[in-house]
Parts: sequence; structure tokens; C-alpha cells
Amino acid sequence: MGYLGRPTQEKIVFALAAALCIGFALFLPGFLTANNLLNLVRSVSILGVLGVAMALVVIGRGIDLSLVATMAISVGLTMQLLATGLPLAEAVAIGILFSLLVGAVNGFLIAYVEIPAIFATLAMGTLIYGFGKYFLFQLDVLYLPDAHRYLLWLGQGYVLGVPVPIIVFAAVCLLAHLFLTFTRPGWYLRAVGDNLAAARIAGVPARPIIVTQYMISSLIGFVAGMVTAASVASMNTRIANSTYVYDVILVVVLGGIGLSGGRGSVRNVIVGTLLIGVLLNGMTIMDVQYTLQNVIKSVILLSAIVIDTFLNPRDEQTAQQGDI
Amino acid sequence: MTPILELRQGTKLYRGVPAVKDVSFDLRPGEVHALLGENGAGKSTLTKMLAGVVAPTSGEILLEGRRIELPTPADALRQGIAMVYQETSLVPSLTVAQNLYLMDDKPFHRLRGIYIAGQQFLQSLNFHVDPAALVSGLGAGQRQMVEIARAVHHNAKVIIFDEPTASLTPEEKYQFFALIGRLKKRGVSIIFISHALEEALQISDRITVLRDGEHVVTDDTAKFDRERIVRSMVGRSLKDELYGSQKDRKARKPGKKVLSVQNLSMGRAVRNTSFSVFAGQVTGMFGLIGSGRTETAKVVAGVQKRDLFHGGNVQFEGRPVRYRVPRPAVLDGIIYVTEDRKFEGFFETMSIAENIYLAALAGGQTKSWTISMSEMKALAQHWAGALNVKAINNDARVIELSGGNQQKVVVATALLQKPKLIIFDEPTRGVDVGAISEIHQLINRLADDGIAVLVISSYLPEILQLSDRLLICRQGRVVEEFEGTQADEDTIMFAAVH
Repeated sequence: MGYLGRPTQEKIVFALAAALCIGFALFLPGFLTANNLLNLVRSVSILGVLGVAMALVVIGRGIDLSLVATMAISVGLTMQLLATGLPLAEAVAIGILFSLLVGAVNGFLIAYVEIPAIFATLAMGTLIYGFGKYFLFQLDVLYLPDAHRYLLWLGQGYVLGVPVPIIVFAAVCLLAHLFLTFTRPGWYLRAVGDNLAAARIAGVPARPIIVTQYMISSLIGFVAGMVTAASVASMNTRIANSTYVYDVILVVVLGGIGLSGGRGSVRNVIVGTLLIGVLLNGMTIMDVQYTLQNVIKSVILLSAIVIDTFLNPRDEQTAQQGDI
Repeated sequence: MTPILELRQGTKLYRGVPAVKDVSFDLRPGEVHALLGENGAGKSTLTKMLAGVVAPTSGEILLEGRRIELPTPADALRQGIAMVYQETSLVPSLTVAQNLYLMDDKPFHRLRGIYIAGQQFLQSLNFHVDPAALVSGLGAGQRQMVEIARAVHHNAKVIIFDEPTASLTPEEKYQFFALIGRLKKRGVSIIFISHALEEALQISDRITVLRDGEHVVTDDTAKFDRERIVRSMVGRSLKDELYGSQKDRKARKPGKKVLSVQNLSMGRAVRNTSFSVFAGQVTGMFGLIGSGRTETAKVVAGVQKRDLFHGGNVQFEGRPVRYRVPRPAVLDGIIYVTEDRKFEGFFETMSIAENIYLAALAGGQTKSWTISMSEMKALAQHWAGALNVKAINNDARVIELSGGNQQKVVVATALLQKPKLIIFDEPTRGVDVGAISEIHQLINRLADDGIAVLVISSYLPEILQLSDRLLICRQGRVVEEFEGTQADEDTIMFAAVH
């Protein structure tokens, strides 16, 4: 198959995104303008940042269903503290500490108490949302105080003509990529995701690594939350009850990161995010109904997976236990 | 005589790479035909083509002289060809009788009816298995009986066994051989894949040897001996016979006591066991499956979870240790080389070089917090060279290597930790003949270098060949100790069984 190598799901999805791009560019007036393209990427960059957070956990053979709830409540907490007049640095520090704490509890439950990640984080997500609503603030929507309107730059500003959220997305991608490829904990994380038993025997501190991976994902979630809040000058905590977290998983799986762990990189998240971005943008221009958009999204996801199983058939040599 | 089953010029390509090349194979009615070869020789692929599990890329299959197509294993079964796998394909949560009648055409069965019919059927085969017992409660030997019974129940004319004796105890093996004899009397033809050459010589009528996916030789068993089989398998005569003259060998003197285990108990597998391991010699640990050897080693190395710890002391280099996870043991120099490399030995998404480098990172041999690609390359080159790992290059993924080369990579990841005590659990399981002798030489070299080596094996010739001292395990404890050179197979077996 030439220099392209074997067609992986990543390449298929990338080709699909490119094909859609060309199609939209030819048939949709207004698609192929610099403005629209920047808009397109901007609209999915928060989803992309959350996708990176989820990808790190999934590569470590876990899943974080509490990601969006943690993001909403920790950023909501920061907004609340800002409203009470606390300086920016302290409010942000407390928000970060809160999200790290949630990540640490997630990791502890999964690594030490050995609860399956899907149950631990599902319960934690509900717990955190309830905790925030009951003890921290009663409002659904927490507004950014006027005194801190300069924060809007994070969501609405530009650097050299590029929207700041895109720059944040790019920075998070770069850092995550460097972490996975060039640092010791990044390698440990991949090893734990690939084969936990082998990683333990080799001497990898497996349980601390699992705790770390959930703390990192919560931290990246906080960053995504701050950008969200800065885009609309508020944090709507009801997002924790929406299906947003499944969109994040969609991006990760669509990009080709195996839920069985160890496989995939930040590149997969970028590809998955781009496809979703192109799709949503095109459909919005065409004025497709929201519910129909969901149908199309899921059909695309299913077809990507189906094509992948045809092109890369699994036999008993490559199949592994725990392969989802 | 028309062969009952025949493959003509069968070729199977996996992604363009031939696993089996132009092989012709025939099975005569009522014979036991052994299929031998190193790992990766194409034995499994050949039999899978015959059992309808994989479709041949080219070539034809003939059953009693007629050409047949076998798109699925179920079609093969309908034609009377059954395959019994290494890992059993029974449903563990169902009873024996339910498993026997699982693939019947009738949609409903009365439970009582199939228990009675199952009982009669099992008795007719002289199998002593309770048809109402759950499969999950059966031992490996009994499970295999049920598998075979199921094959016979479907009126299989041809039964293919893929390494049937790998998981059996010697007693079960003996029963299994008797069973093969009975099947033969019923007129069933048998193909038998094995790594144990003695078994093949003992029970087969004809032997076929494959090498690198090609047919080497097919002949009557009477015309073979060990030497000829090995020569055809590896394509060369091994310089020193693999399990040769352990009697001429001199036992190494024990060095200082490295490991001392006293009254260790854990769960049901390890019961109040005590033993010592010394530097500069190979201590062999022999026992039947279920005698707690692996569990004991895993407790020492911190691999086993300590939920059911019932007390006991472990002393390493004179100080008491109690590892709850493997990491501190690795850092102290106790390295465990697993018996199940696919499950807990290597990382399948990573290359040879990455596997080796990751071990160096994990065991603290590389201190830096960032990755150095040049260090990784150098390490990989050194260790792959030292252990003679055969691969296209060190960027090849470990999962794509043969069993022997996979094992060499796993051993390399252990050796680079600079072990003081190294525990090899079944070091040559699923390893081809050529690599076995290399691994044995390596184990001897480690002991000569003054490292304490503990080798766990259930293969007697291997343990006799390697050990300077010999520990025999039975029912969770070390029951007897021999000088390696004074023991013979009978005394050891006697100690292990009684």
C-alpha cells in the first residue's frame, strides 16, 4: 500500500474529514473562507482539549466519565470565589486544587480500591455535581464578575489573528504529546495501559501512575472549563448533566484510540476533533436539525469502526482479552 | 489406501507472508499422525485450514477423496472434522452434559434426558466425568476429556489436537494416551500437534515435520528417533544434545545464602513452605501443576497480591523483606521472569527496543526523567545482540516474533535490571528447540557469574539438566531436596507425586 502504510482508522477518519472538506468547499458557499475555517476549529477546540484529557486516561486503559462534571464544578467554584472578591490567582488555585483532588480520589478508587474505572468515575461525576450544587452554590449558572472581564480574552481574544481557544488546544496537544513520547511517566502510562501485569512485574509504579493519569485529566478539564467560561462569560453547571462527555468519548474513539488501552496518541484526538468540527460546521451551514446531526455523527462513528474491522481484521493472534 | 483427509498444495498467506507454503499432507484412516515443528513452523495454521478455522489461500482439501469446502468450523464439524484446542472451548458456566449437547440441531433438550444420555455416552467412552458437574469445577484433564467426548459425540471421523498435553499432569497424560488408543480402536483418525518429542514417538503411527511453513518429511514413526526429528525440525544437528549428559556435569558449590523462606503460607496455594536459594548456582524447583511453585515465587517477588497472606518470613541477603508490589523487589534485585509472557511478560503495542528501554526505565537502570532515543537504541542493540534475538530490526513489535524470540526479549528485560536473584518460571515453555539450548546456556552462564538462579519447570529432563540443587514441591510446599547430580527421574517423580 505504498508509503501510506496500512490504512488505520486514524487514516480513514482523516481521509473522510479531507473528503468532507473538499465536498463542502465545492458545494457550500462560505465554507472555504479563512473566517469560517478559524471558526470551525475554534468551535471544537474545547471539545478537543477535553478529548486530550480523555485520551490520556483511555491510553492508560481507563475512562473518565466524571470529566465534564469536574470541569463544571471546579470552574464554577472559581467563578463563585471571584464573585466574592477573591483575587484571581487564589480563586484559580483553589479551582485547580479542587479538580486535582477529584482526580486523586478517582485514581485512588480505581488503583487501590480496584473499582472498575467506568463505575468509579460515573459515581464520582454524580457525586461531584451534587456536592457542588448542594454545598458550594445553589445557582445553575455562575457568571464571570465584571471586574474580571479581562478573562474573556481567553475565550474570545486573538493572537496574531488566531483565536485563543485554538492556541490553547494546540498547546495542550503539544504538551500531552511531549508527555507521552518523551517523559518517563508518559512511558509508564502507556505501559500500564498496554499490559498492567507486565508493567507491575517490570517495576513500574503502576498504582501511582493510575492516580496521576486521572489527576492530569482533571487538570486539563479545568483548563477546558476556563476557556468555556471565558467564551460565554459564565459557567453553566448543567453541562454536567448533558451528553457532552459522550461527545468527548466520541472524539477519542473516532480518532482511533483503542478502548483496550496502550494504543493511540494525541494525533488521533486531533484527527477525531477535526472530523467532528468539519461535520458540525458543514451541517450548521446547511441548517441541518440538531437531532439529525446527532444521527449523522453516530452513523459516521459506527462506519469508521466497521471499516477499521474490515481493513484490520483481528485474528486470535492479535485479539487480546479486554479488547472492547 | 485412500487417505481420509488430505490437503493438496495448501498455501496460507497472512498479509502476503506465507505461514504455510505449498504443503501436502495426508491422514490415513485410523492412524495417529503427529505434527511437529518449531514455533512458527506452520503447524497450527495447517490444522486450522483442515478444521475450517482459516481458509487456505490456495490448494484443496479432500475428505475421503472428495473435494470439500470448509468455510467455517461448524461446516468442518458437520463433515466429521473436529479440533480440540489448547485453551478449551467449553462454556464454563454450563454442565458437562449441556456442553456435550450444545451444538446439537435440536432446539430444546430436557435436562434429565441429556444427563442420562450423557452418562451413557461418557461411560461408553470409559470417561469418568459426572455429566451434571459444572465445567468450571473440572481440572484441565477432565475438561479435555469433555472436549474429546464432544468431538466423538458429533461423530467426528478426524480429531485434531493442538498441544493436548501442555496443561496436563503426568497422570492425566497417561490417561490421555490410553484414550487416544481407544479412539483409534473406534476408527477415529487423529492429528496431534506437540512440542514434546517423546510423546510423539510414543503414541503416533506417522510423523510429519514442518519447518518455516514448508513440509520437511513424513515417515513412519518407527523410522524416527529423537535425533532425526530434531535434525529435521531445526535443519541442523544440535551440537550437544539438548537434554543430554547431566551425569558428567559437576554441580556448582553453593555461594552465600541469598534467599531464605521460612514457613510461608498464602491462600490455598502456598502452605507453610520453607527453602533457601544460594548465590552462584542453579536451584531447580520441580512439582506438578497445582503444587504451588509459581505462587511461591510470586509471593517472594511481590507479584502476588497479599490478600490471603497467612504469615511466614522471607529473608533476602540476610534482611527480612515483605514486598506488597513488585517494584521494591525489582529495585532490590529480585527479578521474576514469567511463565506466561503474552499475559504478563511484554507490551504488545511496543517494539523490541521500546520493551527493553521501558524495563530499564522501570527498574531504575535509567535515571533520567526524559526519554533518550539514542540510549534506547544502544540498549536495544546491546541486549538484542547479547541474547541473539532474531528480528528484522529492533523496531519490530515483540508480538510478531516467534515464541523463542519473544522469550529472549522478556529475558533481556529481566537481565538488564542487574538481578541478584532471578526466578525463571518455565523458561522454555512454548519456545522452539533452537532457542531452548540458548536459554539453557544463558541460565548456566548467570549461575557461573555468581547470581542466584531459581528455575521452576514441570519438564523433568530440563530440570535435571540445569539444576545444581533440586527442590521438589507438592501441595503448596517444598517437601524434598536433592543434589542435582544425584537425583534421577524416578526418585523425583516419586517425591512429587506421593
